[in-house]
Amino acid sequence: MRKTTFPAILATFVLCFAFWVLLTWSFTMQELIAGGVVSLAVALFSARFFIHEKAFWFANPAKFFSGLFYWLCIFPIELVKANLNMAKICFTGCKKINPGIVKVPVDLQSEYGQAALANSITLTPGTITMETAEEDGQNYFYIHWIDVTAPSGKEAGDAIKGTLEKGLRRVWK
Amino acid sequence: MTALRIVIDVLIAISAIFALAGTIGVLKMPDAFSRMQASTCIPTLGTICALLGALLYAIFFKNGDAGSAVKIAVICLLILVTNPIGSHILAKGAYKAGIRPEKKMETDDLGRDLYD
Repeated sequence: MRKTTFPAILATFVLCFAFWVLLTWSFTMQELIAGGVVSLAVALFSARFFIHEKAFWFANPAKFFSGLFYWLCIFPIELVKANLNMAKICFTGCKKINPGIVKVPVDLQSEYGQAALANSITLTPGTITMETAEEDGQNYFYIHWIDVTAPSGKEAGDAIKGTLEKGLRRVWK
Repeated sequence: MTALRIVIDVLIAISAIFALAGTIGVLKMPDAFSRMQASTCIPTLGTICALLGALLYAIFFKNGDAGSAVKIAVICLLILVTNPIGSHILAKGAYKAGIRPEKKMETDDLGRDLYD
């Protein structure tokens, strides 16, 4: 079992409390104190499952702004492109598909980075991350791809996640 | 205000089109994994465009109703965070339970390495 660190508890507490405030959206003292107590309890118990690395990576402005750029600019463009592609396949009768599961190498070491990349891949229509694996220090994703156009390995990786990974590598190594 | 109203209506129309595309995909795709792929259209552009329209409506036509606007933003965020985890675990579970497409897949590295 991993140890609970103070920054991890603090970060989880801030997240829970922010959600509480957003959901209730009332600023009376009573509500805020109740939310604080509940968030603290949740943070104490769940921080060690949640955060295993540096909790306040976004305190570095360069990383913060490249993260913002990724989530507001790079990722939505990829999302719209993939959505248009998928809509085209669906409206033309779902005939031109060629599904398969490919194994692609991933150049991210950090847990946050891998989670963000896997979720981004799954959110874009046409690709779903099914499994992760580590072999000899190199991380791999198994990705179900609706239209396999490149052989497994680096080429498929570039076709699926080239832009996404480049954007994420500026935030997490 | 009319221009804004048109923007909102167009956003909701776009969301309806993508939801329709996803639904057609779910009904017509040949196997479980491809159906799951097509359904990803619905929670991404389908929901996001509708919620964006609702957000604009709440801000500009309801006199800046902060409660509704924030709740819409939270719904959007929660869908974006939880949906990929759900489809990831569904796909993995289906594969583990032995579901395979009828037509053989182009490449199947997961089966080669881990399960078959």
